[in-house]
Amino acid sequence: MSDINIKKVSYLAKLALNDDKAALYEKSLSEIIEWVDNLKKIDTEGVKPLHNITEKNQNMRNDEVLKKNSTEEILSNAPEKAQNFFRVPKVVE
Amino acid sequence: MTTIKEIKDQLSNKKISVQELYDEYYNKAKKSELNSFNQLLEPEYNKQNIINSQSRYNEKKDLPLDGIPLGIKDLFCTKGIPTTASSKILEKFIPQYESRVTQNLLNDGSIFLGKNNCDEFAMGSSNETSFYGPVINPWKNKNQINDHLVPGGSSGGSASAVAEKICVASIGTDTGGSIRQPASLCGVVGLKPTFGSCSRWGVVAFASSLDQAGPITNTVEDAAYLLNSVSSYDSNDSTSSNHKRDNFLGGIGRSFDRPITIGIPSDYLKDVSSEIIEQIENTKKHLTNLNINFVDVEFTTTDFALSTYYIIAPAEASSNLARYDGIRYGYRGKGDSLEEIYVNSRSEGFGEEVIRRILIGTYVLSAGYYDAYYRKAQRVRRLIKDDFQRVLKDVDFILTPTTPNEAFKIGEKLDPIAMYMNDIFTVPTSLAGLPAISLPSGLSKNNLPLGIQLIGNYFQEKNLLQIASLLEKEFVFNG
Amino acid sequence: MDNNWELVMGLEVHAQLKTESKLFSSSPNQFGSDPNSNVNFIDAGMPGMLPVMNFGCIEKAIKTGFALNFQINPYSVFERKNYFYADLPQGYQISQFEFPILSEGHIEIENDNVLKKIRIERAHLEQDAGKSIHDIDPKYSFIDLNRVGTPLLEIVSYPDFNSADEVINYISSLRQILMYIDVCDGNMQEGSLRVDVNLSVKKPNEELGTRCEIKNMNSFKFIRQAIDYESKRQIEVLESGGKIEQNTLLFDTSTGETRPMRSKEFAHDYRYFPDPDLLPVHLTEEQIEKVRPTIGELPQQKLNKYINDFKLEKDVAKIIISEKSYAYFFENLISSKSIKPKLAASWLVGDIFSFIKEKNLQIKDIDNSSNKIIQLLEMIESGTISSKVAKDILVEVLQNNKEPSQLVKELGLEQVSDNDELEKIVDDALKDEEDNIMKFQSGSDRVLGYFVGKCLKATKGKGNPKVINELLLKKLNK
Ligand SMILES: [Mg+2]
Ligand SMILES: [Zn+2]
Repeated sequence: MSDINIKKVSYLAKLALNDDKAALYEKSLSEIIEWVDNLKKIDTEGVKPLHNITEKNQNMRNDEVLKKNSTEEILSNAPEKAQNFFRVPKVVE
Repeated sequence: MTTIKEIKDQLSNKKISVQELYDEYYNKAKKSELNSFNQLLEPEYNKQNIINSQSRYNEKKDLPLDGIPLGIKDLFCTKGIPTTASSKILEKFIPQYESRVTQNLLNDGSIFLGKNNCDEFAMGSSNETSFYGPVINPWKNKNQINDHLVPGGSSGGSASAVAEKICVASIGTDTGGSIRQPASLCGVVGLKPTFGSCSRWGVVAFASSLDQAGPITNTVEDAAYLLNSVSSYDSNDSTSSNHKRDNFLGGIGRSFDRPITIGIPSDYLKDVSSEIIEQIENTKKHLTNLNINFVDVEFTTTDFALSTYYIIAPAEASSNLARYDGIRYGYRGKGDSLEEIYVNSRSEGFGEEVIRRILIGTYVLSAGYYDAYYRKAQRVRRLIKDDFQRVLKDVDFILTPTTPNEAFKIGEKLDPIAMYMNDIFTVPTSLAGLPAISLPSGLSKNNLPLGIQLIGNYFQEKNLLQIASLLEKEFVFNG
Repeated sequence: MDNNWELVMGLEVHAQLKTESKLFSSSPNQFGSDPNSNVNFIDAGMPGMLPVMNFGCIEKAIKTGFALNFQINPYSVFERKNYFYADLPQGYQISQFEFPILSEGHIEIENDNVLKKIRIERAHLEQDAGKSIHDIDPKYSFIDLNRVGTPLLEIVSYPDFNSADEVINYISSLRQILMYIDVCDGNMQEGSLRVDVNLSVKKPNEELGTRCEIKNMNSFKFIRQAIDYESKRQIEVLESGGKIEQNTLLFDTSTGETRPMRSKEFAHDYRYFPDPDLLPVHLTEEQIEKVRPTIGELPQQKLNKYINDFKLEKDVAKIIISEKSYAYFFENLISSKSIKPKLAASWLVGDIFSFIKEKNLQIKDIDNSSNKIIQLLEMIESGTISSKVAKDILVEVLQNNKEPSQLVKELGLEQVSDNDELEKIVDDALKDEEDNIMKFQSGSDRVLGYFVGKCLKATKGKGNPKVINELLLKKLNK
């Protein structure tokens, strides 16, 4: 068994799991993690991690304003909006 | 009337009008009971496109895909058309922009019938994780004729619809096999291009370093038609490649003017059924007729590919899916605080498999586990890439089965790991970013399609389509 | 500071880069626009949207690298810092982590006339978040995404600070340099420069204590208040036998106190990993060197030049270099070969600054008067007008943008330097002054002043005092 703290993981992912679900996911994750653990058997000493198949220099753009979208377009899918803002319950800092 | 070329001939010769063609497919699609579309566009929506297309035919100025009715996997953002990724969390989401790939298809004159069902956020190998319900494979097991079979996933709606011929072709996405695996289970052609060939701009992301759009079609030639359209450099995608694109139709049906060698990796055939081995043997026989040589090759990393994939893909997904928080678009759960809105929107909006993968991804990236899992997987990924480069030094193509099994019953595979094993032959190429095509190679004892996969080197899609087209001619296949 | 305690601080300064467009999107980088009007689909974190790097930001980072003595790294990587917040649309911030663009820089600050080297660990590029507005409605917060994606350079120092003064000096120097090299507009009120202070206290010769981070301050006054408050708090906790809990704090400007931000069930775990939507940044030697000539003169270089070459007083030179706009205004004045730097400097920090201050203006507001000021100074240098007259004219020039030569003519204020004309006046002044002439000749210098005054009065202040002086001496010493 691995040491998965499912409460912590789901907290980081902003997912709520009731106790039953948490137990199920914990079991499932443990099995999957155990399954992928076979990577321990391959020697990767000195191998540089590969993030992307394309390792060349990336294309960059010049510092110019090209595209901004209208406020209506930006807010068009908002579940709640007011006065050209997205609206959420009061955030206490 | 099946292939794009034939349809275009008929449209050019006025044997059929664009409207008649559209109506024929639209009506078939409307009647279909396989749930392969999340949404069929109303004919009204396409009215102007059809008129424009027809006038181009009338003026003999038709575009490469003019009037061709296509399905679009519901992972591509389509301007003004709901795009859901088959998830509740994108309920009612209407993009104000068109993905680069679908824009290319529109620019080439094609007509969108609608949005194809898929696994939720493209996470699945059976198209059972969709919020809109499972897609049904048009094929039936002749020994269990009443069972509904899965089409494979995640582009299951695309493969099923193309196989049912309710659209001429569909554009899917492949992250670990999501084009090739359903193509194989539905008896159609599926091509995953080299990573960087098709822009990811406007495609709902699953795993950014792996996601790649590609065609699902009835013929290899059709795949070349679609690839000509969708493969293009895009400065809006930093990982897009700006190499020169071939005319992918150029090699279709032509024999090679040089000797060709194909490698068959023995390690891919270790644990597969005799039926699958038979497909490979059969393929070999056909190609030997064409004067193509075969050699045995062996990979050293195959056993590690799935583990590597099931660390990297969920890790990227866990981050890519963080934007679905109920604030700016999509489903918003109830809540009196921001925290409650996040948690309720996400917990209610995501399905079970998506949640599982977000949790896996979050875990492998979290403090204390990053090196052991994520960084380790990135290192193995390089070994896998190098392994392919070593093998591809000596051979032109690699031939493998596409899937370890034929289509299975809906609801049959409940264990996630068993499900993940479906991608065992497609995942290594995805990790290496190589192009690969699946094409139907024959039928199983149960009368179900089986597919073989041909893998080429980076940006060798033209050659890959060429050899696939030669092979396609050889296969005796009754659909 | 309590004698028994030492204060140890390190700073994280977030400088907004002065660019046209954002770090990963081409929407405008602009302050003060209508809500959600400088946003595009990338900034809003819409599905399928992808970042594309703005090379202008890389250039600004390289410039900073040269100016702050950094090692400029030919390889850097953008990573995702994952956390949820209402004004963070992607659910992650794209930042640099393992491979920043700049490493190991330093600057010197001057504190009580002593130079101190402050080491800078790194500087990396990252995107700014949006803004949550809490005070419009009692029940809701409002989200404005305009600031999302604004390029930031986060400059992270080593814990080299031991007093609030040092901190303030460092931030002012940093701000000054960034403004000189045109990387940041330095507008702290608008949040262009924001400071996190990591603070701990310890007894001499002891190991570093547990630190707290006071986040996101954008005024010198509040930074000083926060440091004072937080150091006292920590000392009190320790002296009463307590322990410092590592925490992220907010400085409450209304109470002048620090308080913990959000208590968390689990500690932050940002799960950094290389952004798969972006490729690493590879910079060639050529690309880096191409930026070097664009830096221009740094404030320290200017200070040395002003003192050594222009012979300005150190205090005056310091005032002029304190703002890039002052230095450029000054250098514009002395672009006229006939104006001595010393004269220009004293007029600038004297009458010109007084005028600006009085009228609540900025130097840029009088930029279009600079040619006229040059004219005025030239007339002083040539003796056409006296300093006294120049003072009056200056106000007219700055206020009404009038041509100085015109003013001088209109008002008949040209200085009289003509020998013959003045000789008559001197002769007149000496008439019937036998007693005073005797006094002078017997050694009383004060009488000379009396005669000069008398002559000037007779010329209505236009007589050249120098010429009058000479003439008087000639006549008196006869
Ligand atoms: Mg900080
Ligand atoms: Zn930062």
